[in-house]
Amino acid sequence: MSDLAIRNLFIIPTIVFLIVFNIFPLLYSLGYSFTDFRASTNAPANFVGLDNYRTLLSDPFIWRNFTITAKYVIVSVTGQVIVGFGVAMLLNREIPFKGLLTTLLLLPMMLSMAVVGLFWKMLYDPNFGVINYALGLGKFEWLADPDMALYAIAIADIWMWSPFVMLLSLAGLSAVPKHLYEAAAIDRASGLYTFFRITLPLVAPILMIAIIFRTMEAFKTFDLAYILASQPTTEVISIRLYKMAFQEWQTGMSCALAYIVLIMVLAITNIYIKYLNKVKER
Amino acid sequence: MRGTWTGLVAGVGMTLMSTSAYSQELTIFWAEWDPANYLQELVNEYEAETGVVVTVETTPWADFQTKAFTEFNAQGSAYDLIVGDSQWLGAASEAGHYVELTEFFNANKVGDIMAPATVKYYAEYPGNSGRYWAIPAEGDAVGWSYRKDWFEDPAEMAAFEAKYGYPLGVPADWKQLRDIAEFFHRPDQNRYGIAIYTDNSYDALAMGFENALFSHGGELGDPNTFEVEGIINGPKAVAALDAYRELYGFTPPGWAKTFFVENNQAITENLAAMSMNFFAFFPALLNETTNPNAANTGFFANPAGPSGDRFAALGGQGISVVSYSQNQEEAMKFLEWFIKDETQKRWAELGGYTASAAVLESQEFRQATPYNEAFYQTMFIVKDFWAVPEYAELLGQLNNRLYPHIVGGEGTAQETLDALAADWKATFAKYGRGQ
Amino acid sequence: MAAVRTRGEVIRHRLSVTAVLVILLITLAPIFWITATAFKPRNLATTMPPTVFFEPEISPFVKLFTKRSQLREPPTEEVYNAAPWWEKTVFDGGEKVVRSGRGEVQPSGYPSRFLNSLIVAITSTVLAVSMGTITAYGFSRFKVKGEDDWLFFILSTRMLPPVVVAIPMFLMYRAVGLNDTHLGLIILYTAFNLSFSVWLMKGFIDEIPKEYEDAALVDGYTRMQAFFKIVLPEAATGIAATAVFCFITAWNEYAFALIMTNRRAQTAPPFIPSQVGSGLPDWTVIAAGTFLFLLPVAIFTFLLRNHLLRGMSFGAIRK
Repeated sequence: MSDLAIRNLFIIPTIVFLIVFNIFPLLYSLGYSFTDFRASTNAPANFVGLDNYRTLLSDPFIWRNFTITAKYVIVSVTGQVIVGFGVAMLLNREIPFKGLLTTLLLLPMMLSMAVVGLFWKMLYDPNFGVINYALGLGKFEWLADPDMALYAIAIADIWMWSPFVMLLSLAGLSAVPKHLYEAAAIDRASGLYTFFRITLPLVAPILMIAIIFRTMEAFKTFDLAYILASQPTTEVISIRLYKMAFQEWQTGMSCALAYIVLIMVLAITNIYIKYLNKVKER
Repeated sequence: MRGTWTGLVAGVGMTLMSTSAYSQELTIFWAEWDPANYLQELVNEYEAETGVVVTVETTPWADFQTKAFTEFNAQGSAYDLIVGDSQWLGAASEAGHYVELTEFFNANKVGDIMAPATVKYYAEYPGNSGRYWAIPAEGDAVGWSYRKDWFEDPAEMAAFEAKYGYPLGVPADWKQLRDIAEFFHRPDQNRYGIAIYTDNSYDALAMGFENALFSHGGELGDPNTFEVEGIINGPKAVAALDAYRELYGFTPPGWAKTFFVENNQAITENLAAMSMNFFAFFPALLNETTNPNAANTGFFANPAGPSGDRFAALGGQGISVVSYSQNQEEAMKFLEWFIKDETQKRWAELGGYTASAAVLESQEFRQATPYNEAFYQTMFIVKDFWAVPEYAELLGQLNNRLYPHIVGGEGTAQETLDALAADWKATFAKYGRGQ
Repeated sequence: MAAVRTRGEVIRHRLSVTAVLVILLITLAPIFWITATAFKPRNLATTMPPTVFFEPEISPFVKLFTKRSQLREPPTEEVYNAAPWWEKTVFDGGEKVVRSGRGEVQPSGYPSRFLNSLIVAITSTVLAVSMGTITAYGFSRFKVKGEDDWLFFILSTRMLPPVVVAIPMFLMYRAVGLNDTHLGLIILYTAFNLSFSVWLMKGFIDEIPKEYEDAALVDGYTRMQAFFKIVLPEAATGIAATAVFCFITAWNEYAFALIMTNRRAQTAPPFIPSQVGSGLPDWTVIAAGTFLFLLPVAIFTFLLRNHLLRGMSFGAIRK
């Protein structure tokens, strides 16, 4: 076989597969987003133009869902970066059983979010949960308090995904040339100075990648929030979308909402990637 | 290694092929709760008689509606029969998910066998049309359990009477219900007044609120004209919402996503004096192994409202044949067996809440458990949610409006219900109802 | 890091180690708690204060695998004594085992869901990794017009929220009858993991010096032979790491499984939360189901820890 044939054989099936199962469905739902189609009835779909988009964008509830999602993304990603990067800094030294320690620290991110949601629900329970007992919080209502619930979900998310940020940070930290630290030590540079002038700039690109990944994932959050609480204040956009599509069966309308979400995810990712390239250039 | 993969692929292939249906099997879909287990025991006897293997598949209540309708809308044949909620009738019949049972109903005189309320709410759609889509299977309604030992403690009784001016006992009306909840609400002693439904993921919150609404003489709207303005936001409904919201103040901590599991737990874990629940969930409270307070647990029907109206929210389900089933004939034969008097009697013995009028009225049934009498009384005072095809949207709107008010304390009852009335009006208009 | 020297550094080092251990404790505490609960008698699962020391029981696992129903009357002594030990534990918990008409003990939904999880996760992992590997090789070794755009396209397929994809997929699957089938779920998970697999494998294959294959080609190997005999063995570590990641993702996936499957092909994640019991919660059974479900991933992670660390950092650095 010629190289060209092999190349095509190796690449084309994958591309075709991804187009069929990713792009085609999207085009399909783009079509439906301009109709009043309901998959729960046998009635044919009527073309309604931009009505669905207009209804959605002027619906205060939907905007509230987006605000909640944004708040959730900010809280949980910030938490993960602080905890994850912090632990990586601590781990970035000679420690006995470092490999084992790191593996154990990674355990939470290997678990199913649905299952994690379930057992955090048990841990948070005000009547028999371990968290309130361990922290001496009495009957503190983690999930029942509308203002607290979103943070409670974010805490579970931080517990689960900080290890991811930690791992990437570790990779970044280990790539910082040691002679730079030695030079700083000879110059008697302060710890803070070393951190901000040497460590952070060199780790920034990879930290940025961790942030991109986590932001995308947090934006998509469904499992954890769905299982932990059903407060209106925790209804992130994926849950709203799920309800609209698979409980109320407003198929056309939910396709339109899916598109709005999709455009937002793409926009956010693009901004990040632009920023990432800037960081890399420095 | 390669051998392993080959074996695995072969295994997968076989599993995929084995999904094709067997003829001598029936699958019934229901929610995850005790009655489904009782039903499994009942259908085991059908298997013993006929050799047809019947399996009851379950899913938790929170997903039940979604799972059922995803399966319907996927036109899946995984289930032959489904024990579906009463408010699904409109959606499932209009979209053709259920096989019409009118002929079967008339031929077998099901209307004479089953109690009138169950035929009306579990089987017929649209109302008074004479068209039937299900066989009443499990009657159910919301009732109350309470701590007899707390109620009968002489010190408590004296203190209660001194404070409220009448003796402590099973509440005769919602005012007393409220007083007792307030009386027993003692957070510093880890004791709370009352457990109510607050879960907004399906119909729990609606059921709980309906108990207050119907007993206060309120209604959801006019079932014929679909008029809601001045009804769901009328003074009676507002008073009912105020009452329900007030009860939330006497619930144990963290009572914000609660349904039957949590409410039963309120009794077993010594959290609350009284707890709202569907009758079908009461067996767990009589079981001494799971409820240390089993001997001290009593039951009562939903109390009357201020003007003496007394109603309860309807639960329960009818059993329907799924249109996409490949075993419809078998399913019909099963239904014929199911409506027999002896089957219904056996169903009640196993713990099922039969809808059969003859069994319900028998002394034997009414004395079988401490709550059967309350159940029997309740089945004559039940009312239900909207059963139109767009009921899920109506339910979602109710959850969206009521939940922040009850749990989060947002807005007044009037504002909340005005907003709900507007939502419902818009939804009914969208589907061209009542014009 | 340089060797520890001054006293100040020794103290700082010790403090850091202590801090790491504390964080480790916090990380593992919830996992420990769920594991402990899986072995508790039911009445100790929700005590206040929490029960830490107890005599472990196997009954939650017995209950996990059997269909049970509420006991309405205690079993007669005769029945109880005749029952095997595991059935006794169910009786002790105030429940009875549900039997079929032929008297066979009926299994709960758990074993079949677990099996479905295995079938779907393993098959989709094999597919995603093998397709990903050859595609990565294609991109790594040959000139492809608009390579960066194609690679970005491949990555972008992973950015879609599952719920967004689920709506059209549901309709498409309905048209071809793939809802609630293993095949349907396998295709979805393969598509989902493929992008990740291509990216990760490209990083690994880029690392393998081209000269190895060139030498083999000179020796008369065909391109295919060179790929199978030279490149694949070199990429083994990368393949292992990629496989573990794909497996974990497929194993844990919830949203698609919730929407697209029902009785026949449902996997464990949407099922485990549904074990909430009838009438009263039985946290020990939920914990037992969770514990068993975590086990494969925990073992995998532990066995392949070194590959994982490498693979993870690679994929990210290469982005």
